[in-house]
Amino acid sequence: MARTSHATAEVLLALENISLSFGGVKALTDISFDIHKGEIRAIIGPNGAGKSSMLNCINGFYHPQQGRITYKGVTRQQMRPHEAAEQGIARTFQNIALFKGMSTLDNIMTGRNLRMKTGLLAQALHWGPAQREENEHRAFVERIIDFLEIQHIRKVPVGRLPYGLQKRVELGRALAAEPELLLLDEPMAGMNLEEKQDMCRFILDVNDQFGTTICLIEHDMGVVMDISDRVVVLDYGKKIGDGTPDEVKASPEVIAAYLGTSH
Amino acid sequence: MLYREAGQFKTSYGADQAIFPILQDRLFVFALIVLAFLAPVALAAVAPGLAQYLFTEVLIPFLVFSLAAIGLNILVGYCGQVSLGTGGFMAVGAYAAYNLWLRVPMVNDLIIVFLFGGLMAAAVGILFGLPSLRIKGFYLAVATLAAQFFLDWVVARVKWLTNYSSSGSVAVGNLTVFGIPIETPMARYLVILAVVVVLTVVAKNLVRGHIGRSWMAIRDMDIAAEIIGFRPLRTKLLAFAVSSFYVGVAGAMYGFLRLGAWEPLAFDINRSFAILFMVIIGGLGSILGSFLGAAFIVLTPIMLNQLPGWLGLRMSTALLSHLEFMVFGAMIVFFLIVEPHGLARLWAVAKEKLRLWPFPH
Repeated sequence: MARTSHATAEVLLALENISLSFGGVKALTDISFDIHKGEIRAIIGPNGAGKSSMLNCINGFYHPQQGRITYKGVTRQQMRPHEAAEQGIARTFQNIALFKGMSTLDNIMTGRNLRMKTGLLAQALHWGPAQREENEHRAFVERIIDFLEIQHIRKVPVGRLPYGLQKRVELGRALAAEPELLLLDEPMAGMNLEEKQDMCRFILDVNDQFGTTICLIEHDMGVVMDISDRVVVLDYGKKIGDGTPDEVKASPEVIAAYLGTSH
Repeated sequence: MLYREAGQFKTSYGADQAIFPILQDRLFVFALIVLAFLAPVALAAVAPGLAQYLFTEVLIPFLVFSLAAIGLNILVGYCGQVSLGTGGFMAVGAYAAYNLWLRVPMVNDLIIVFLFGGLMAAAVGILFGLPSLRIKGFYLAVATLAAQFFLDWVVARVKWLTNYSSSGSVAVGNLTVFGIPIETPMARYLVILAVVVVLTVVAKNLVRGHIGRSWMAIRDMDIAAEIIGFRPLRTKLLAFAVSSFYVGVAGAMYGFLRLGAWEPLAFDINRSFAILFMVIIGGLGSILGSFLGAAFIVLTPIMLNQLPGWLGLRMSTALLSHLEFMVFGAMIVFFLIVEPHGLARLWAVAKEKLRLWPFPH
């Protein structure tokens, strides 16, 4: 069944001529692409192609030496990660980066931190505004817990959860921030077929119900081709393909990068 | 447990997030606090000699070090920033409180004096917390060790702080709280108990709210915490400030209400280690653990010291004190092997098992 795309023509994020290097190693070379509001945009490429570096540039963790990033019409040179978070960019990580000592509930609550404003004194008393705020955000987080079907592990420390559920909790934490742009770094890595199907369903539902723009890195070509609106292909830090899944699949350069060329 | 929590359903998020969600726990803790206030008063009326010993040697040190351990636990257990400067921050609290008490006679109320000691310690804590943005783990421990030595040096060398006393020792007297003179050990105990109860509730409130979550996020994975919007420096410095405030208040109370007269040596590096051990043995990241750890470190040596007497064994004082060290050391090792996560975890596991008792699962 073909899904209805929510992609619009409005550009949410535009990357122009991004170059990033670490010493002599060029991680990204002159890469330009854009992400439209409401679409699911996939970044694919072989290992070491610079996909994660790309996400790190978008959310301000790396600072590219060259190039411009325009997000919601504002062009920026440098940005700290918390500024990116304040502007509505949330992400998950390739290697799960949950807070292992905390429960599922607390982990997802941390996603609300930018909206929690009560100060030290109110928190110390845990009375009035502080408690009201806590309860309001708890109610929101409970909706995410329902959405991701993880009610049963609400109070379990995430360190004790199996891999697939941890990935789901991490998605929950990113969703709790109510992001406009959600960056997913290999959301399905290491999952079995059933878990992958679940995760695909969640990603599509997030896009569908909340209208969140999603940019994901994924190695499973079946998944990428099925759920994404447009795909950008990187190889050795260079962009070698950009377009709809069908266009990308037919591109000779992409085929060469994945399958090798005959010499 | 002796009780079942069956049938206690939560109908609001507030009730679900209470400090003690189970009714019986609430009643038990309430009863414990009432008992802590009333029982010693009753004992003081019946057996004044025993009560005096109990207050000065057992209960007051236990409570003061519990407070210091809570402070350190906020920093080490909740925020993951190892500190060996606790003794130094206690000294800041004690000497700041002393100087306010000495030089500004209008505000010699103990509560204000302690508050000032705590705030000054918080300020110094923030200063020494600044390197924590760059330095992590063991290296931070070494950096805070520098704080300990530096603060030791300051109180020994800056004569103004000790009011130019030749030996470096200072003494306080005529203490009051809200105009009530605090002279007997019982009065001192009650003041300390009240402060500890209030500050414990505050600590618990902080760690279960968004501030506590920010600390734990930094502790568990600082990069992810930064990417979801926490500011590492601000979060760490807040932990240093709150932690040092607690430690400073504990230091001031230790000086004013336990010692009465003290010299810089009272807050040396050994103090830092003792409090760090309390936190580790009690349980990192647990308020209850801070109390258990303090109880273990403060009470076990006393027990070991008294035990041969109670058993009717006669031995020399030297042998007794050597035995005390050996057994105490062995017990620390034993507890760390049995439960590396501390006494608080041991307690949690026991509670979990008893909940289902007599069924295995």
